[in-house]
Amino acid sequence: MNATLTILEAAVVMLGLVILLLDLWMPAAQRRNLGYAAAAVVGIIFAGSFLIDASQAQYAFGQMYVMDSLALFFKRFFLLAAMAVLVMSVEFADRIPTGISEYYALILFALSGMMFAASANDFILVFVALELITITFYILTSFQRSRLPSLEAGVKYLILGALSSAFMVYGIALVFGAAKTTNFNELAGAIRTIVGQPVYLLGLLLVLVGLGFKIAAFPFQIWAPDVYQGSPAPTTAFLAVGSKAAGIVLLLRVLFSAVPEVTANWTKLLMIVSGVTILYGNLCAIPQRNLKRLLGYSSIAHAGYMLLGVTAMSIAGSSAILYYLGGYLFTVLAAFTVICVVMREVEGDDISGVAGLYQRSPLLAVAMTLAMVSLAGIPPLAGFFGKFLLLKAVIEKGAVQPMYYWLIGAALVGVVISFYYYLGVVRAIFWSKAAESQTVIPLSRPVRFSLYACIAGMLYLGIFPNTLVNAAIQASKALRL
Amino acid sequence: MQVGLQHYLVVSALLFCLGLLGVIARRNLLIIYMSLELMLNAANLAFVAVSRFNGNLDGQVMVFFIITVAAAEVAVGLALIVALYRKRQTAYVEDLTTMKL
Repeated sequence: MNATLTILEAAVVMLGLVILLLDLWMPAAQRRNLGYAAAAVVGIIFAGSFLIDASQAQYAFGQMYVMDSLALFFKRFFLLAAMAVLVMSVEFADRIPTGISEYYALILFALSGMMFAASANDFILVFVALELITITFYILTSFQRSRLPSLEAGVKYLILGALSSAFMVYGIALVFGAAKTTNFNELAGAIRTIVGQPVYLLGLLLVLVGLGFKIAAFPFQIWAPDVYQGSPAPTTAFLAVGSKAAGIVLLLRVLFSAVPEVTANWTKLLMIVSGVTILYGNLCAIPQRNLKRLLGYSSIAHAGYMLLGVTAMSIAGSSAILYYLGGYLFTVLAAFTVICVVMREVEGDDISGVAGLYQRSPLLAVAMTLAMVSLAGIPPLAGFFGKFLLLKAVIEKGAVQPMYYWLIGAALVGVVISFYYYLGVVRAIFWSKAAESQTVIPLSRPVRFSLYACIAGMLYLGIFPNTLVNAAIQASKALRL
Repeated sequence: MQVGLQHYLVVSALLFCLGLLGVIARRNLLIIYMSLELMLNAANLAFVAVSRFNGNLDGQVMVFFIITVAAAEVAVGLALIVALYRKRQTAYVEDLTTMKL
């Protein structure tokens, strides 16, 4: 029993509670600045995470919680994401009539759920961590109570989220019924006697349904566009980065730590899901005019790209996913920070809102352009190298199973389609005539800093990928691959 | 007749399917939400039955977690549905059409 391992999570939860308490004594006008304080403390916790040594896997709570290199990698990822999201939500504060401190606190509680998810080594912790994330997000999506789209997004997320967790819980019950344990280490050890039981396989399939919902993979993606469109911009950003990454880390843990031998038989299923998800996301994004909805579909496509790495079933594949997520973090946060700032006056988040952005604010225009180019996967940005690593991992497997080549074909078609709509946004920024307003957009110093950090991240990871690739390989060694 | 583990699991599977049917077929948000709770309780029944017949308490612990989480989910969910009703004066899913392509 080693509860001190959870020190990072404990710090985040404490921070959330302190924010709620400070809110009681603070004059209303100053409450929005609590977000900056929270972001700063999250930054300190992020720095503190480098003091932790996780080269050996350490366990807590009866092997339910594991602290290894993979867990630490994702904890840092989530902390970085939360920092940018907190800065973004201070910018958003004037559009939330009451309770901005609760908004910050909920972001922190969701963050702690994600960090627990990164360390899950037991289906019980998987369930509890996922629900902590999901229930907090029900509130975060519907936080603009006076706007109907926000409420609608919340209700849709609520119904479909609850449905997916019901599937997942029932799946866990079936797995527990067949294997008599919910612990990943014991499941991996006991596998040979139970691997053929239909109840066990059905249970695992239902668990995958729940995780597929979290990462918005086909056919569990229907919620994503509506929820992305209706939610407040910082929530959407956190949903796109944090919630998706939490789903990915759980998927990796379940598939490769708990049941590696079952996963090996499911390669074809995963390949089909991955290919269809890529094509669906990219094709549906083409006609979109709403930026957040467009990014919703694009996030479906990106879930498909990440599943490419899962289908490769190798260290190369899973480390490519981790690298890809690292690039995706900076890219998506840059895009949503820009959306959050620009769409202040415009109702509806239409692409025309960014028309002529270059004249209004060159920094925002450059950040958005780089984000779109990186999402499309054009060198030398992070998105390109991530896709390159993923495809490389899949091609290495092509020799044994020709179906991998079809998958690569689908992925390449998806990338080509995606150029069209990503570059459509870039065209609106630079070459659109119909700019509604020509006023210069004021930028606060933290937002400026956050944008510079995202741009630096995208460029640095694209040009010098070695640091992150090595960290990703180290982290994936924690899996039983 | 001896009531065994299979019987419990069959009942739990039936409950789960009934809940799923309710979610798919009914149009009222509150009924859908009730059906979702039914699905969670199907899982609870399966957990308890497996635990009881194997002399393993892990499943019963999991049930406590599920009940707690379900309570939190209901609190948030009902609040959301009430907020939606105040704004839109409806609790039917076909009226949730603000965001369409």
